Amino acid sequence: MSRIGVFVCHCGENISATVNCEKVAKITGELKGVEFATDYKYMCSDPGQTLLKEAIKEHKLDGVVVAACSPRMHEPTFRKACAEAGLNPFLCEMSNIREHCSWVHPKDDLTTEKAQDLVRVMVEKVKKNKALNSIKVPVTKTALVVGGGIAGIQAALDIANCGHKVVMVERQPSIGGHMSQLSETFPTLDCSQCILTPRMVEVAQHPNITLYTYAEVESVDGFIGNFTVKIRKKSKSLDEHICTGCGLCTTKCPQKKIPNEFERGLGFRPAIYVPFPQAVPNKPVIDRENCTYYIKGKCKVCEIVCPVKAIRFDQEDEIIEVPVGAIVMATGFDVLKPDFFPEYGYGKYKDVIDGLAFERLASASGPTQGEIRRPSDGQVPKKIVFVACAGSRDPAKGIEYCSKICCMYTAKHAMLYKHKVHDGTPYVFYMDIRAGGKNYEEFVRRAIVEDETHYIRGRISTIYEKNGKLIVKGADTLMGAMPIEIEADMVVLATAGVANHGAEELAQTVHISYDPYKFFAEAHPKLKPVETNTAGIFLAGACQAPKDIPESVAAASGAAVKVASLFSKSELTRDPLVAVVNRQPAPVYSQCVGCFLCQSVCPYQAIEREEIKNRNGEVIKTLARVNEGLCQGCGTCVALCRTKAIDIHGYSNQQVYTEVMALLND
Amino acid sequence: MSELINKVTQLLNDKTIDVFIGYEKGSADRIRAAFARTAEQAAKLVYTASCTQNLAGYLMKHEVKKLGKPGLLANVAALRSIMQLASEFQVKDGEVYVLFANADGSFTEFTSFASIEAYLGTTDVGIKSDEQEMIARLEAMSVQERWLFWNKEFDKCIKCYACRAACPMCYCHRCTTDVNQPQWIPVASHERGNLDYHLMRAMHLAGRCVNCGECANACPMDIPLNLLTYQLIDPIKNTFGATAGMKADAVYALSTYKPDDKENFII
Repeated sequence: MSRIGVFVCHCGENISATVNCEKVAKITGELKGVEFATDYKYMCSDPGQTLLKEAIKEHKLDGVVVAACSPRMHEPTFRKACAEAGLNPFLCEMSNIREHCSWVHPKDDLTTEKAQDLVRVMVEKVKKNKALNSIKVPVTKTALVVGGGIAGIQAALDIANCGHKVVMVERQPSIGGHMSQLSETFPTLDCSQCILTPRMVEVAQHPNITLYTYAEVESVDGFIGNFTVKIRKKSKSLDEHICTGCGLCTTKCPQKKIPNEFERGLGFRPAIYVPFPQAVPNKPVIDRENCTYYIKGKCKVCEIVCPVKAIRFDQEDEIIEVPVGAIVMATGFDVLKPDFFPEYGYGKYKDVIDGLAFERLASASGPTQGEIRRPSDGQVPKKIVFVACAGSRDPAKGIEYCSKICCMYTAKHAMLYKHKVHDGTPYVFYMDIRAGGKNYEEFVRRAIVEDETHYIRGRISTIYEKNGKLIVKGADTLMGAMPIEIEADMVVLATAGVANHGAEELAQTVHISYDPYKFFAEAHPKLKPVETNTAGIFLAGACQAPKDIPESVAAASGAAVKVASLFSKSELTRDPLVAVVNRQPAPVYSQCVGCFLCQSVCPYQAIEREEIKNRNGEVIKTLARVNEGLCQGCGTCVALCRTKAIDIHGYSNQQVYTEVMALLND
Repeated sequence: MSELINKVTQLLNDKTIDVFIGYEKGSADRIRAAFARTAEQAAKLVYTASCTQNLAGYLMKHEVKKLGKPGLLANVAALRSIMQLASEFQVKDGEVYVLFANADGSFTEFTSFASIEAYLGTTDVGIKSDEQEMIARLEAMSVQERWLFWNKEFDKCIKCYACRAACPMCYCHRCTTDVNQPQWIPVASHERGNLDYHLMRAMHLAGRCVNCGECANACPMDIPLNLLTYQLIDPIKNTFGATAGMKADAVYALSTYKPDDKENFII
């Protein structure tokens, strides 16, 4: 006979307003196997928990049902209280009479009856509960950081400075990300490269960081603390260990007219190239799609001029396998493609550029050495129209969100322009100015007041070219939607920040969830902003949503702390609510017949093969076995197993059956 | 016939196989399965137009497994059964010797799964036209009519489990029906118990049925059980592009996800 304790919580008035808690405790107290039943105002409070612990000891309870809120809320609380009173925590169950009852029904006798039913079901389940022990899994104290932008750099440095090993993977030839393309940064206007490059160098030189550039994550297997990552090191077509980074090859390469991605197409680069002068590592790669040798089969000028003979035309991609304990995703963002704005002529008119291209124009290391000159004829533009919300907040175009950084960088652009072209006139078309953040509003004010930027609240309908000028048509909605037409020399679109290309495939490779815009999804929007739903994988920076630099850095440090706290223990403890394949005496060994449908259905690759051998070492039977470290207890295998050979601890077939029957056999 | 007997005798003599599963004459004019382990037993093997049973089901029987390496006289359904069993890791390449009965009365040896796959790739494995008609008739019924039809059919069921015993895909040591801790499916052969059993079996065969029809052949109460599982063949083929028993390394359509899977069945 069980000795179960039932504890009915009032949750202040959350439950007791519609459920007669005293009655629930009294009626369920009369159930067979229930030794003790009571109700209390707040079971989760300290006195409430003490009441529970005292009752366990006094009545020698061997099972506990707490009828209160959702187990998502307080199951850990009550299981811990039970453990403190000496009862196995997995002999404690919660009956949700708040979300499932009191909150959704009016005050009525039927509501109280439903609460009694819910408690009775759990009482029957607890009778079938088994004492379970937590699972311990080892931790590999190496972190993988995917992406070498400012977020990845910050996360890598923070983790490495905690004394843990970091492997950083960057798909471009250099780390630095978008921040390395920026000229100055808001709200202080300090030089982006000046604050970024020391950190890039620090990453390269840090004894705890292994850097793989021009590399991509090929696959991720395993689980928190024990991931196995395959990294594809794309062929750079040269031996990095020999190359001195002298740059002779890049100057001699005959192929010189390849649009430079780093300069947003405003400049050119050769086929063997270093993306920018401050690149880390500062060693070139051959862009095989544009290299004459790979296209036509002859050239090899770089090989001839290389003083140390580092060029390797036959070098192949290399796949390396790295064991890691945690992963930080810092893959950043991208900006909208030109075809998104046919009405703005982006991609059609040379002088309609995006914000990143303007950053390059304003940058001292850019194609114009920091002079603002328009791409079409190299003239200094006297009127520039900046268009905020180019794509963002436009449900008609499928992007409903605010890209968040555009208001600020547009104000910055207007300022930089004015600082460089004193007689120039910047116009900004905006929907709203969103400048929430330390010193942000003051910054925008400065752009408007001190730098005399003309802010026009309204949107642009069309842009077209006429006599070498760009005619910008729009409306000023603060002047009664008065039509406005500006003859501009250049237009800069603050294009919406979107998920990086390949984000969806990467999320599927890494097994994390993503939102409809393909940005990676956090586990909880408020309380778990840097965690993903996959344990051991964290988010940093703009791969999650558009973020500015301070936010990216803060998120990266947050993710780094999560990794460091994971690595602070040599073993992880986790709930044993995992699947298990049943075992029976010989000659059956198990109900499992080894069809392994469970293996293909398991989303966590948690099913392994186990061979039963006789004493001669011959295999008699092959069974499924659950890797407890990998299993997340989702139960998909249970649903698919025809012989019911797989069961889930804590939610066993028997327990579910008992619960259903408790309701049916009322 | 002598070609078959000579071949099997030779296979048994040179120990290529330990037992050959074929057909022999049973009582009256009937044909039954034969398990030839000696030349004398092999001499009794027959192959006539009545030899239509899918013998692959015997490969999974505990008693047959004990006899050693099997040879099998196979028809198309048996070949597909072997492929499906292979995809479920129940038979391994090289463990079964397959002698395939051609339509012209000659026999072809299949020594590897690859050769079986190649043959099936060029063969019509569809449902027979008379069965196709019956399915069309069922599908033309209203839901209510169909429900009544099956209830009436299941009412006849005596739960002898002959369908399960005849099915090559029902190889579990312990069927869900026999699991009694807890007893989800009632043992008794009453209306609900029968319905539960047959629906469970149909669901377990979804995407696995090789349309051999042995369940219906075996049924002493003449319930057209094959229609129940056949009806699941087309939806799975149309939705996931999968046909059971065509490839030895196939993955089960219902346990795998492909990004381009149709999801129009999700309401």
